Amino acid sequence: MVSLSDTAPVAPRRPRRPAFRRFTISNMLIAILLLVCVIWLVVPFGMAVLWSLLDPSVRWEYPDVLPPALSFARWIEVWNTTSLPMALRNSYILAPTVAVTTLILASPTAYAFARHDFPGKGAAQVLTLLPLVIPGFVLAIFFSALIFSLGIYSRFLSILLAHSVLFLPYAIRLMTVAFSNVRLDLVDAARDLGASPWARFRVAYWPALAPGILASLIIVFIQSIEEFAVAFVVGAPNFTTIPSILYSYLGYNFVRPNAAVVSLVLVIPNVLLMLGLERLLKSANPAQTGVKG
Amino acid sequence: MTLRRTLTIAALLTPGLGLILVMVGSVFYIAVAQSFGYYNLSGESAFSLDHWRDVLGSKQFGRSLGYSAYIAIISALGSIAIAYPLAIWMRKPFRGSLVVGSLLKAPLFVPGLVAAFLFLNVIAYHGVLNQFLIWTGLTDAPIRFQNDRNGFGVIFLQLWKNMPLALLLLTGAVQGISDEVVDAARDLGAGPLARFRKVIAPLTVQAMQAALIIIFIGAAGDFAFQVTAGPTNVQSMAQYMVFLKTSFGRWNQAAVVGVSLMGLALVGALGLAGLARLTLRGLKW
Amino acid sequence: MASLAAKGISKVFEDGFQALTDIDLVVEPGEFVTLLGPSGCGKTTLLKTLAGFYDATTGRIEIGGTDVTAAPPEKRDTAMCFQSYALFPHLTVAENIDFGPRQAGVPKAERRARLESLLRQVDLEAHRDKLPNRLSGGQQQRVALARALAMRPAVVLFDEPLSNLDAKLREQVRREIRALQKEIGFTAIYVTHDQSEALAMSDRVVVMQGGRIDQVGRPEEIYARPETAFVADFIGAANLVPFEDLGGGRVKTPLGELRAAVPPAGNASFICWRPEDVELVEAGAASENVIRGVVRDRAYQGAHTELHVATGDADLGLQRLHVAGAAPAEGAEVAFRLGADQIRFVRSALA
Repeated sequence: MVSLSDTAPVAPRRPRRPAFRRFTISNMLIAILLLVCVIWLVVPFGMAVLWSLLDPSVRWEYPDVLPPALSFARWIEVWNTTSLPMALRNSYILAPTVAVTTLILASPTAYAFARHDFPGKGAAQVLTLLPLVIPGFVLAIFFSALIFSLGIYSRFLSILLAHSVLFLPYAIRLMTVAFSNVRLDLVDAARDLGASPWARFRVAYWPALAPGILASLIIVFIQSIEEFAVAFVVGAPNFTTIPSILYSYLGYNFVRPNAAVVSLVLVIPNVLLMLGLERLLKSANPAQTGVKG
Repeated sequence: MTLRRTLTIAALLTPGLGLILVMVGSVFYIAVAQSFGYYNLSGESAFSLDHWRDVLGSKQFGRSLGYSAYIAIISALGSIAIAYPLAIWMRKPFRGSLVVGSLLKAPLFVPGLVAAFLFLNVIAYHGVLNQFLIWTGLTDAPIRFQNDRNGFGVIFLQLWKNMPLALLLLTGAVQGISDEVVDAARDLGAGPLARFRKVIAPLTVQAMQAALIIIFIGAAGDFAFQVTAGPTNVQSMAQYMVFLKTSFGRWNQAAVVGVSLMGLALVGALGLAGLARLTLRGLKW
Repeated sequence: MASLAAKGISKVFEDGFQALTDIDLVVEPGEFVTLLGPSGCGKTTLLKTLAGFYDATTGRIEIGGTDVTAAPPEKRDTAMCFQSYALFPHLTVAENIDFGPRQAGVPKAERRARLESLLRQVDLEAHRDKLPNRLSGGQQQRVALARALAMRPAVVLFDEPLSNLDAKLREQVRREIRALQKEIGFTAIYVTHDQSEALAMSDRVVVMQGGRIDQVGRPEEIYARPETAFVADFIGAANLVPFEDLGGGRVKTPLGELRAAVPPAGNASFICWRPEDVELVEAGAASENVIRGVVRDRAYQGAHTELHVATGDADLGLQRLHVAGAAPAEGAEVAFRLGADQIRFVRSALA
C-alpha cells in the first residue's frame, strides 16, 4: 500500500458536502411543492366554500377580497327551493345499488381471472377494459337509443344497468387482485384441520377478499355518484342526480353561490370516502421493509 | 381443457365480461348502424351515406375534430411531462412524501363538473387569479381566461384532473423497478439522464402508454370542461354530438359524430402509444 | 499500489444507527477478499459504502490510487454483482454485458472484443440474444458477473451473489467465480454470511461483527487461530470456557485446571478449542488436561459423531465433541483430553 499512508489525515465526522446540499434542496422542493398544492387545492376549494356561504342579502364583487357577510342562508335556500333533496335521494339510492350490483356481476369473472388459466385469458382481461375506452357521451347517447328501442322506460333501471357496465372494469380488477390474494395453503390447512366450508371461507377467503370488496364498493359508489354523461342523457329531465343539477347551475342557468353549494354537496362525501379507501388500501398492503448487511 | 371446465369458465365470465361485451357491442352497433341510416328511432330505416356526407362536409365537423384532437394530445402529453419527474422524485419515500402524494392525487377524486366550477371561480374575470395579477402589477386590467379562444382553460382543467392519474400509474411503475437494478445502472457508470433513458423509461413504458391512452380518450370525449370553460367559437366532438341530438333530434348525424369520435379516440390513443414506444427505441442507446 | 484502500470508515445513518465503526481495509490487486459476518454486522453497508451508494460518515476511500471518497457510484472504478443479479430486464444478455462499456464510451471494436471474450468465458454464447427472464438462476448470475467484468473495474464487488441459488448450484457457481477470478486475475471483495463459502473462496477473510472488523486473515489463520470468541464461534464450531490465569501457561477453568502450550495474552478472557481436537481416553487415565463428563446426547454425522457432554459445572452448558469411529452411548461417562497446543485463548464475550 503506497497511496494511502498511515499518516494520511482522516477528518473525523466530516459531513459530505453533496449529501448536505441534496438534503436542503430536497427540503426546499418539498416546501415549494406543498405551497403549489395549497394553491392547487386550498384556493379553489376555499373559494367554493366562501361562495356557498355568501349571504344572499349582499353581493361579493370586485374589489372585495372576502365576502362582506356570511351565512348558511344559501344552503337553506337551495335545499328548500330546488330539486336538490330529490337529486340527493336519487343519487344515494342509485349509487349503493350500482355498487352492490357491480360487485355481484364482477366477482365470478374476477374469480375466473384469478384462479383459472385458460386460453385467451389475456385478451379477455383487456376486453373488460372496453367501457373505459368508449367516450362517455358516445356511450350515454347510444345507450339511450338502445334502451329506447328495447322499450325500457324505467330511468332508474336504465342508469343502474349503464353504471354497472361502466364500472365493471374497476370492480373486476380489484376483485381479481383480491381473489389472487387468497392463500390456497391456508384453505388446505383449514381443510386439514377439519374446518367446515363456512369456517374455511371465514379463515382463508374473507381476510383476503374483504379489502377488495370494500374497495370495489367504495370506488363504484363514488363513480356512480359523480357520473354525469349517462345520468344526464338518460335521466334528464325526469330523473335528476346531483351532477345534473350542478350542470344546470353551471350551464344555461349560472348561479354561482348555488353552484358552490351543490359542488360541495357532491364532493365532500366523496373526499371522506376516498380518505377511508386510501387507509383501507394501505392496511391491505403493508410496506415491507428490511435491513441487511 | 375439458368441456366441463370450458363451460365453468364461460359461466363465470358471463355476468362480468359477457355483459360488458353485449352492452358495449350493442351501443357500438347502434351508433354505427344509425350513422348509416339504420335503426332510426323515427321514420324509416334504410342504408344511406347521406349522413356521413352531410356531417363530413360541414365546416363545423372539421373544426370540432381538430379541436378535440388538439386538446387531447396536449392534455395527454402535458400530463405525462408533469407526472414523470414527480414520479421519479417520489420513487423513494421521504419525509412528507405521503402528504405530497395525496395532495397531488386529490384532483383525481374531484368530479369533473366540480373541478370546472372550482376553476371558474379562480380564473373568473374578477377571480382570485386576476386580482393577484393586478395586485402584483403584472397586468393593469383583468385578463380573460374563461372561454379563451385557444382552449387553455380546458387544457388547464384537463391537466389538473388527469395529471394525478398519470402520476398514479407512473409512480406505481417507477416504484416497481427494483432498487438494485437502478443501483446497477449507477454502478455501471450511468448518470441521472442515462438512468432515465436507458432503464427507467423503458421499464415504465407500459404505464406511460396506459396513461397516454386513458387521458387522450377522456380529453377527446370531453363535454363538461368544454361547456363550462371552453372557447365559444368551436365545439368539442362530444358537445357537437349532444348538440345535434338534443337540439335537432338528428340522431343519424349525432351517430356520425359519435363514430368519428370513437375513431379519433382509437387512432389517437394507438398513435400516442406507438409514438411513445418509438421514441423510447430511439432513446435506448 | 493497492486496488482498494479504506481508512477509518464509519457510517452513521440518518436515524442515528451506527452501521460501521472505524473500518480499515486494504485489498491488493488480484486478491479475493471476503467480508464475512452474520446479518446486521455491517458487511453489506461496507460494500455499498465502497461502491458509493452510501456516503461514509468519516474516513477515506481510495480505489486504484484515486481518492473517491466523495465520488458517486457512477464515477467509481468498481462494478457490483448484486444479490438479485439486478439484470436489466428489457435488455438482452449481450446488451446487459455491453451496458457499462457503452456508458464509459469504450470504442466499438474494443467493446465487441470484450463482449465476445466474456460471453465465451462465462459460457453464454448461445444465450446472447435472450432476455434475462429466459435464463436460469445460475446463468443470470454469470451474466451479472460478465456485466461487471466488462467494466474492467479495479475491484469487483459481490453482494451475497449466491444466496438465491440452491445448495448444489451454489457450490458450482462458487467454483466458477473463483476459477474465473484466477484466470482473469480481477480483484474481488465478496460479501457473504456463509462461512464455508468464505473459507473455500478467499485469499483473505474479514470477519465482521456489530459494524466492526473482528479479525482479518487467511482462511487457515481465521480457523486455526481465532482471536475473538465471536470469530471462534462463527467460523466452525468452538467450545468456549472462561478461565483464570495461574501463570506459566496454567489456567483454572470450570472444567478443572488445564495447561496450554502458549500462555494467554493479557486481554484474553476465554479458552477455546475445536470439537474435533479432543481425544477420548480411558476413564481412569490420570494425565494432564483430562476432563470427565456424561454424554447427554449424540448425533451421528457420518464422518464423525457429535457428542454433547455435561461436565461438573452445570452452569457452563454442554461441551461439544466430534469423535471419529465408535462413539460412547448416551448416558455413558467419558473422559477426554485436550492437547496443550490445541487450547487457544480468545478475547471478549460472545456477541
